[in-house]
Amino acid sequence: MIRFILADLNRFRLGAFFIAAIVALAVALGVAVTLQERALRLGSARAAEKFDLIVGAAGSETQLVLSSVFLQPSALPLMTGKVLSDLEADPRVAWAAPIGFGDFFGTSPIVGTTTTLVKNLSAGVSEGAIFAREGEAVIGADVKLPMGSTVKPMHGTLGEGGHTHTELAYTVVGRLKPTGSAWDKAILVPIRAVWDIHGLGHHHDDGDADEHDHDHAAAGADAAKPADAKEPAGHDDHDGHDEHEHHAIDPNQAINEQWQGELPDLPAVVVKPKSIADAYKLRQQYRKDATLAVFPGEVLTTLYATLGDVKQVLSAVAAGAQLLVGAALILVIVMHIGQRRKQIGALRAFGAPREAVFGIVWLELFGLVATGIMAGLVLGYLAARVIAARLAADSGFHMPVGFAPEDMTSISILLIASALLCALPAIIAYRQPPASALRG
Amino acid sequence: MLDLSIEAVEVTFPGLATPALSIDSFHLPAGGHLAVTGASGSGKSTLVNILTGLERLKKGTIRWGGTDIASLSESRRDRWRGETIGLVMQDFHLFEGLSALDNILLPARLARVANAATVERARELLTIVGLSRPEQKVETMSRGEMQRVAVARAIVRKPAVIIADEPTASLDSESGAQVAELIVTLAEREGSTLMVVSHDPALIERFDNRIRLVGGRIAQADAQVAA
Repeated sequence: MIRFILADLNRFRLGAFFIAAIVALAVALGVAVTLQERALRLGSARAAEKFDLIVGAAGSETQLVLSSVFLQPSALPLMTGKVLSDLEADPRVAWAAPIGFGDFFGTSPIVGTTTTLVKNLSAGVSEGAIFAREGEAVIGADVKLPMGSTVKPMHGTLGEGGHTHTELAYTVVGRLKPTGSAWDKAILVPIRAVWDIHGLGHHHDDGDADEHDHDHAAAGADAAKPADAKEPAGHDDHDGHDEHEHHAIDPNQAINEQWQGELPDLPAVVVKPKSIADAYKLRQQYRKDATLAVFPGEVLTTLYATLGDVKQVLSAVAAGAQLLVGAALILVIVMHIGQRRKQIGALRAFGAPREAVFGIVWLELFGLVATGIMAGLVLGYLAARVIAARLAADSGFHMPVGFAPEDMTSISILLIASALLCALPAIIAYRQPPASALRG
Repeated sequence: MLDLSIEAVEVTFPGLATPALSIDSFHLPAGGHLAVTGASGSGKSTLVNILTGLERLKKGTIRWGGTDIASLSESRRDRWRGETIGLVMQDFHLFEGLSALDNILLPARLARVANAATVERARELLTIVGLSRPEQKVETMSRGEMQRVAVARAIVRKPAVIIADEPTASLDSESGAQVAELIVTLAEREGSTLMVVSHDPALIERFDNRIRLVGGRIAQADAQVAA
């Protein structure tokens, strides 16, 4: 029987190939949607897992999460630097670290932060060390720079008409192990250096911040151009490096991560609360007035709900496509069976039982469709991988593409449904009276 | 080897005033050879269909060696036909993409009765019908060769009855003569009851028993056949 089916398929190999290919494409569409959505969900959840609580200025919760967890360039509103010192002093806080954005090197965002965050973000360095001086930088796993190379920060990106900072060039001293998040594409530098470059010490002019936020799409720290900076740069007294006329910064200055005194305004502070209860209390406390506190996980859940709707629409589109393909195939196959009445009649006339006729037609079709489904699974998986890889290349944000146990259920349902559909032409063939089949 | 008896058979088709076939009584002894002739539309094909059980008889009885084939279910009739009747048709009905040997064995294999002995017999029959390459694909054969494969397929399961429907009509006279010779000699060798439907004079004249159908009725019966 198998040999007969193979000979038959070989005879109709072009048609057989197209049937399998159409099935494969329809299946691949659905598979890609499912896998991609799951990869996005898992990948973003994984990326957010290092960030328990994020405190920022009052504004969009989603934007706060996108900018801090996913380093999406955006003008975040700023909050007073006092928030950082308050959090630092809070007994419910295990650690708190500021993050400041705004500068780029090529397409890599330069993120000002502290050694604490760097240590907690990644499982350590794969080479070199974490920055210890103002002029040092540690790069994410995906940043293609050699150790010791020089990074000249540019305010904004080239495409946005940014300008290069001349005050300080960072030297790459270390590379972090991969985190699978957007931070793998980032260049991490001491936050003090970011402040210094932008002329922020302990003086700050709120009006100035408002003006310049509009100029720079990626303004994180106060976006003052060197020419505009009327204030001499200054630090609090502890770092013993008070005078920075025209932002002349000493790259060999050891970094100071004590947040006493007056601090510049900040876009966001990453907080690690000591307990879950503390986390909720902190969030409540910082969710009023000028600040906003969010659990990134929670914000992402809300986003997924939206994403879920999108996925449902896409799934419905994919299902519709599959349905159309299924209907078209049934039509083609039923017509094909009609054309093969003679062959089927002859099989019966020469003594093949009708069960064998049913078996041949069913097996031949189901073989084709099942091959198509399997090819579609592979194709959809590959498509999702390609999409994920392209997104990862753009954003550094890794999305784990993979099948989950629940997929087995959907695949089984699909196979059973197609097995039943293939039975339809088989039944037609089974019921065809052999004499009338031969007569035609 | 089975005898055939037909009693009060009438086959009508919707929309036709006169029956396509109407035979009151007919008997063919076991091992007998019979030629059926008649113009097209005279009921020859209908006769073949009901004798082989391809079409279910609604009126009358047909017994092959005592088996009333109208009483068999569709599936039982398939099985009975596979075991009992070897069919040769005008259009060969070979399956492209399969070798000569596989074509001979296909019905037996689909009925799950092919064993080593069947394969051996198929090879032997190929030699008997004069084909030396069992693995040759049928689509590469001449029409005469194809019909010889079909003859081998018809008798591979040692059927008690061989029915040939215009076996030579689509062949040139030389191939036709070869096939006619094969059918008759193989039926004799196997001891099968043989019925040939044909209007090929060269084939018909090999038979002593002949009936001629006109308008679905036996118009003329030669020799010892009871009318």
